[in-house]
Amino acid sequence: MTEEAAIEKQVVTQFPFLLAKFRVARPRRIFAEVARDRFPEVFDYLVKKMNFTILCTITGLDLGDELGAIYHLARESGVTFNLRTAVPKTQPVLPSVTPYFPPADCYERELVDLLGFKVEGLAPGSRYPLPDDWPAGQYPLRKDWNPEMLDKKEAPHA
Amino acid sequence: MQLVKKIVTWARIKSPWIIHFNTGACNACDIEIVAALTPQFDLERFGIVLKGTPRHADVLVCSGPVTRQIKERLIRVYEQIPEPKFVVAVGTCSCSGGVFKGCYNVEGGIDNVIPVSVYVPGCPASPTAIIDGVVKLLTSLEAGEAKAQAGTPTEQLAPGEDCE
Amino acid sequence: MPDKVRVPIGPQHPALKEPESFLLTLVGEQITEMSVRLGYNHRGIEKACEGRTYVQDVYLIERVCGICSHSHSTAFVQAVEEIAGLEVPKRGLYIRTLVAELERVHSHLLWLGVAGHEIGFDTLLMYTWRDREVVMDLLALLTGNRVNYGMNTIGGVRRDIAEGQKQGILNAVDALESRTKYYIEVASQEVTLINRLSGVGVVSHEDAIRLGAVGPTGRASNVARDARKDDPYAVYADLDFKVITSDHNDVYGRTLVRVGELMESYKMIRQLVRNMPEGPVAVKAPRKIPAGEAVSRYEAPRGEDVHYVRANGTDKPERVKIRAPTLANVQCVAHMLKDRYLADLPIVIAAIDPCFSCTDRLIAVHGAGREPQTMDWEAVRRYGIEWYRARGTDFTDLNKKLRVKIA
Repeated sequence: MTEEAAIEKQVVTQFPFLLAKFRVARPRRIFAEVARDRFPEVFDYLVKKMNFTILCTITGLDLGDELGAIYHLARESGVTFNLRTAVPKTQPVLPSVTPYFPPADCYERELVDLLGFKVEGLAPGSRYPLPDDWPAGQYPLRKDWNPEMLDKKEAPHA
Repeated sequence: MQLVKKIVTWARIKSPWIIHFNTGACNACDIEIVAALTPQFDLERFGIVLKGTPRHADVLVCSGPVTRQIKERLIRVYEQIPEPKFVVAVGTCSCSGGVFKGCYNVEGGIDNVIPVSVYVPGCPASPTAIIDGVVKLLTSLEAGEAKAQAGTPTEQLAPGEDCE
Repeated sequence: MPDKVRVPIGPQHPALKEPESFLLTLVGEQITEMSVRLGYNHRGIEKACEGRTYVQDVYLIERVCGICSHSHSTAFVQAVEEIAGLEVPKRGLYIRTLVAELERVHSHLLWLGVAGHEIGFDTLLMYTWRDREVVMDLLALLTGNRVNYGMNTIGGVRRDIAEGQKQGILNAVDALESRTKYYIEVASQEVTLINRLSGVGVVSHEDAIRLGAVGPTGRASNVARDARKDDPYAVYADLDFKVITSDHNDVYGRTLVRVGELMESYKMIRQLVRNMPEGPVAVKAPRKIPAGEAVSRYEAPRGEDVHYVRANGTDKPERVKIRAPTLANVQCVAHMLKDRYLADLPIVIAAIDPCFSCTDRLIAVHGAGREPQTMDWEAVRRYGIEWYRARGTDFTDLNKKLRVKIA
């Protein structure tokens, strides 16, 4: 059995609800989706029980009514597990993963600055990557944002 | 060799001090500016010295498309350089914004913020092009053609121009 | 020494309050706390990618960083090729890998010079950058540019290499290898250098893992991760090379790792040139990329570069996410400088091999009841060199020795 197949077997046995969206795209590339309410336990299991001890980065997505976040986890063997969760734009709250990965704070600050997520448990610190004088309520990576809004200092996402 | 002779003579008259400022560049031009100082290109033989502070500089050598965060600082640096002062925009980004033109957080070209004396295009501008740009500035000063900056860009290098 | 030192970005007007990039708290000359502020180089590239075609994005992404431009463009095209199901011809992959290793060589030689400059060993800067010109000329010959090579396209590479160019590549590698052997000799035998770099910027193996250090910074603390081995891409699965690690855990270790990697790169370049298969160098890519997503990992000279691309069936990407290696390593800097001296700041920061513009910094000095003063990076560098000279570290002799040895 390949490593990816063994991972799939173990993870789906533990969390049967992951099966529908579980995908081994090619060797070393696993993709899965989890609802926000089950995200913390799946994440914990992958890191603590399945040896995905590397967090490469977190990608934020504008999915329309929702905001998505993909946590790109990896193992020493090179296999990556790309776990996606989503939150409604009306309540875009994620838990911080800094207890597992202290350096994740800059990836989470990007989610806050560029897409308008709120990350609970993120320690206070300087924003990243936008400048201090960036107008509040403007999230550049949202699909409905364009640079012309900067001059007007609108807050379309307030 | 005519050009080199002219430059060496000129350099005896005045040894320009340069400050290098990166306004949010990808570093390619910055490395080429530093490379211009290393043995293969050796900008220092023209008496050009790289200084760390604007207060002792004559020429501001700038790279980058000017990010929002750095714009104020660029203006401060420019203001701190004593008159007469000259600005060399190195690289396509600092000439016009380059590939970053239209990106949010980028002003798009040094001359949107401060007046420029010489534009050295290239992505990145090669060390020979940079030297040529600085030398063109110096020789035009000698010939009395250039105006010290009060908002008047003087000369534009044609793409592909190279020094001997 | 005043008890609080702020390290802002760029030249600062004394009366103007500006965001800082490094905030240090000193007690005497020792750093007790440090925090890092980034973002001044944020250009909005990821957003711009969504508004441009995939082909335009290859050229934009190449300019994320001018030192590892090929790293970024390769990471991007690999992801797009995966989504589109394109199989790049073997010869194209060989050329892509060849440029990748040449880029690593130029980057590590650049780093050696910069590191030398930061500690007062300027002759090393002059010699390594002179050697580096051999690689720059070679890259210009093969790709048409010294930097930002424009070699990648979606589906392969844009230029082939000619038979006649192969010998030139091998000759250049021979010359560089003998010079690098000399730098290894210097690094492993010159006591002044060893003492200056040892015990500085220490990160234990466990801390390197916890803090997510990548590339030579992590490998110098024995974190044996290298995307070329762990998650092979391009032609690396076919190449014979070692992942270089060190258990010194400090700046000296990071130096040894980089010079060791130079030697491995020369080995790989020879294999690539000698074993290069015949055939086309690219397949035609569709203008519209079908919906899908891919993650691409690339071992850039500074460490793991991660790209995520999401396609939506149009000619423009839905999302491009880039995590450059410096972002991972900068988290370690605060840890490395804790309880060390201000004099260590320049070389410790340089040793993670950050973007060059990261070192254009000014330091503002605040003290109780006095006017804020400004010191520039150059002043801190000189302070560091003088501080160590007062404690017996002097590169004057070594500078002279190197000049005599390498005519």
